[in-house]
Amino acid sequence: MKHLPAFALGLALALPATVTFAQDDTLVIGRSASTNALDPGFLREAATIVDNIFDTMVMRDEDMNLVPGLATEWTAVDDTTWEFKLREGVVFHNGEPFDAEAVKFSLDRVLDPENKAPTISYIRTIESVEVVDPMTVRIKTTAADPLLPTRMSRYPAYIVPPKYIEEHGRDHFANNPVGTGAYTFVDFVPDERVTLEANPDYWRGTPDIKTVVWRPIPDATARITSLITGEVGLIEDVPVDLVPLLQQTPDADLVQVKNGGLTIYLGLRMDKAPLDNVKVRQALNHAIDRESITTNLLGGLATPKGTQVGAADFGYLDVEVQAYDPELSRQLLAEAGFEDGFEITMQSSFRYMKNAEVAQTIAQQFEDIGLTVNQQTMEWSVYTQTVPFEGPIYMLGWGSTQTLDTDAAVYAIMKSGEPYSGARIPELDALLDKSRSTVDPEAREQILFDIQTLASEQVPLITLYQEDKLMGKAPNVDFEGRADARIPVFDIEMD
Amino acid sequence: MKGLRFLLSRAIQGLIVMFGVSLLVFFALFLTGDPAVLMMAPDSTAQEIAEFREAMGFNDPIIVQYGRFLAGALHGDLGNSLRYSRPAMDLLTERLGATALLALSALLWSSLLGFLLGAIAAVRRNSPIDFAIRVISLLGQAVPVFWLALMLIILFSLNLRWLPSSGYGSFEHLIMPSLALGAYYLSAITRLVRSSLIETLGENYIRTARAKGLTEWRIVVRHALRNAMIPVVTLQGMYLASLMGGALVTEIIFAWPGIGRLAVEAIQNRDFPVVQAVVLFAALVFVVANFLVDVAYTWLNPRIRL
Repeated sequence: MKHLPAFALGLALALPATVTFAQDDTLVIGRSASTNALDPGFLREAATIVDNIFDTMVMRDEDMNLVPGLATEWTAVDDTTWEFKLREGVVFHNGEPFDAEAVKFSLDRVLDPENKAPTISYIRTIESVEVVDPMTVRIKTTAADPLLPTRMSRYPAYIVPPKYIEEHGRDHFANNPVGTGAYTFVDFVPDERVTLEANPDYWRGTPDIKTVVWRPIPDATARITSLITGEVGLIEDVPVDLVPLLQQTPDADLVQVKNGGLTIYLGLRMDKAPLDNVKVRQALNHAIDRESITTNLLGGLATPKGTQVGAADFGYLDVEVQAYDPELSRQLLAEAGFEDGFEITMQSSFRYMKNAEVAQTIAQQFEDIGLTVNQQTMEWSVYTQTVPFEGPIYMLGWGSTQTLDTDAAVYAIMKSGEPYSGARIPELDALLDKSRSTVDPEAREQILFDIQTLASEQVPLITLYQEDKLMGKAPNVDFEGRADARIPVFDIEMD
Repeated sequence: MKGLRFLLSRAIQGLIVMFGVSLLVFFALFLTGDPAVLMMAPDSTAQEIAEFREAMGFNDPIIVQYGRFLAGALHGDLGNSLRYSRPAMDLLTERLGATALLALSALLWSSLLGFLLGAIAAVRRNSPIDFAIRVISLLGQAVPVFWLALMLIILFSLNLRWLPSSGYGSFEHLIMPSLALGAYYLSAITRLVRSSLIETLGENYIRTARAKGLTEWRIVVRHALRNAMIPVVTLQGMYLASLMGGALVTEIIFAWPGIGRLAVEAIQNRDFPVVQAVVLFAALVFVVANFLVDVAYTWLNPRIRL
C-alpha cells in the first residue's frame, strides 16, 4: 500500500505510448489559428486551407507572375470590361461541370449585399458578371479597374459549384466544401483538424502528397516541438525569439521567406501640428536607425525599406532607405521652429516582431533629436480601434502580399480620409486617384513610381522595414515558402 | 421542512447570481469598443462597417440589446458567433466533451493520489515522509501550469519521444494535459486531506477505535477518512465546477479542443456571443455545483442550517 503512489506514477509513464508520426505520403501542417469554416467566399481568415480545395480563374506561379488558372486567357475589351475564356473539361469534386455559370454564381453571391460577405471590398469594383457563352465570361467594373485580373487570383474569387450549394445550402457547404482544386475535402473537426485528400482527376495532374492534415496548434513552443518530434511536417508563424530552437536542431529547418511579411511603418496624423509640417516629418524619418534595428534587434529577419511597396509588387520602385542622420534631423526641426523639440505620443501594440522593443528603440532615437516621447503600448484588439484616430504617431504593419500591386500597399494608408490613413497630402491624393482610373499598364506603372517618389519626399508615413515570413519545415519537406503566404500542397514534394 | 426552506432560499440566491452575471457579461463587453470595426476587413469602407453594425443590431439602444440577449439566453439561444456564423451554444456544446474529459481525468488522478499522499502524511505526521509530501504539494501549487506543461512537453515529447506534444483524440494525447492540469489539484487535495485527517484523528471516537486494538490503517480508512472527506468533497465540487469552464492555459498549450481555448480565441477576436456563452455557462456550472454541495450538506450533516 505504501508503494502505491510510486506504482501509479510508474504505470502512467510506462503505458504504451505509440506516437503516430507522419507517413511518407501524408503531410501534417501546424497552424497558429483555428479554422472557422471553409466557404472561400465568406472567409474571416487567411485562405491558406481553402486555397488547396478551390481554384481561381487567374493563378500565381512561384515567382508571383499571374498565370492561367480556371481561365486560359483574359483581355480588356474596353476600359470597364474584362473578358475571360474558361478552361474546358474541368469538373468539381462532386462531378458538377465547371462553366461560366459557376463563375457568375461564385462572384454574384459575394457581391450580393444581402449576403454580407466580409471580404466584399476585394471585389467591390465589379458591377456585373455576364455569361457570354458556357466558356466565356465578361466582368464589367464600375470604373476602369486595372487590377481586376489580380482580384480574380485571390479570395473571395474562388469558384464554387452552384448546384451543390443551391441543393445543400451555404452552411452545409462551409463545413463540406466542394471545389475544383488539387485536394478534396475529407473531414473538419473544429479546433482539431481539417483533412484533405489528393484529387486524382485534378486538371493540373494528380498531386504527389496523398493526404494533408491541417492542425491548429496555438502555442508557438508546442508548434515548434511538434515539428521537431516529427508529428507535423510544416508549421506557420515562427516567432523571432524561438528561431534559435529551429536553428539548433537537425530535425527541422527554418523557412525564411525574404520580404514575405508585413512592412512596418509609423503612421502620422497630419491634421494636427506638429506633424502637418513636412520638415518635422522628414526630421523624424532621418532620426531612425533602421539598419541597427533590423540587424541587432530583429537578428536580420527583416529588411530596411524606403517604400511601403513590396519588391514583388507591380509598380515597385527601389526607393533608397532613408539615411540615419540625427544631425540633419535636429537641423530640420530647427528650420521648422522646434529647436527645443516637442512632446508627442507614440502608440504601438504587440502584434509584430519584437514590437515593444522596436517601439522602445525608436522612442529613444526620437529623444536623441530632442523630442519627449510618451509611449503607449496597447493590447491588439484595443489598438485596432484606437489607430489611427489618436496617434499622433502609431506603429502598424501593412501588406500587399495577397494582391502584389502597389495599390494595395499604399492606397488605404496614404489617401486622405481612408479609415487607416492619417495622411493629408492633396498632391498625393491626386496621384492615388489617377492610378486607380488608368488601365494602360505602362502609364499606370509610371504613376505608381511617382507616388513612391512623392511619398519619400513628403513623408505621409515613416516606412521602417519589411519583416520576413518565418515558417518551419521537416528536412524531408521541399518547400521554400511563397511571397504571397500561400501553402499550395500541390507544389510541395516530400522525400 | 426547515431544510427545504434553506434549499429554496439557496436556489433563489443562485438565480439572483445568474441575473447579475448576465448583466455583467453583457455590459462589460460593450465597454471595450465597437465590434463592427474589428470584425470587418481592414480596407472596408465606413459605409460597409455601418451596414454591418446595423445588421448585427449594434445600433439599437443598449437596454434593448440586453433585453434581446436575456430573452434569447433563457431559451438557450445566445446568438450566432460573429466569427463562425454558427450558434454560440453549438460551439460550446461541441467542446463540452473535450473539456469534461480533461477536467474529470485531471481531478480523478489528482484525487486518488491526493488522498493517498494526504493520508500517509497525516498518519506519519512530522516524519521525513510527511515533510517530503508537504514540500511536493507546496511546489505543486507554486509551479505555474504553463511552465509545468512546457517542461512535460520537453521531457516526454522532445527528449523521450513517448507522447505527442499536442492534440486530441487518443489516450496518449490526454496524459500530459491531464498531468499538468491535475498537479495543482493534487497539491491542494493532499494538503486538505492531511489537515482534515489530522484533526479527525484527534477525535474521541478514534481514540476508542484505537483502544479496541484496530490497526492504524484500518482506523484511518474505515473511520477517519470517511469523516475527513466532507471538506474535501466540497473542494472537489468547486474544482470540478471551475474546470468545466475550461482550462485556458492548458488547453491552449496542448491544442486541446475545449471550452477554454474557445474562450481565449473568442476574446481575442472579440466574438461577443461566444464570450457571453462561455462566461454564462461557467457561472451556471458554479451556481449549480454550489447548490448541489448545499444539498449534500443538508443530507450529510443535519446540523448545517442557515
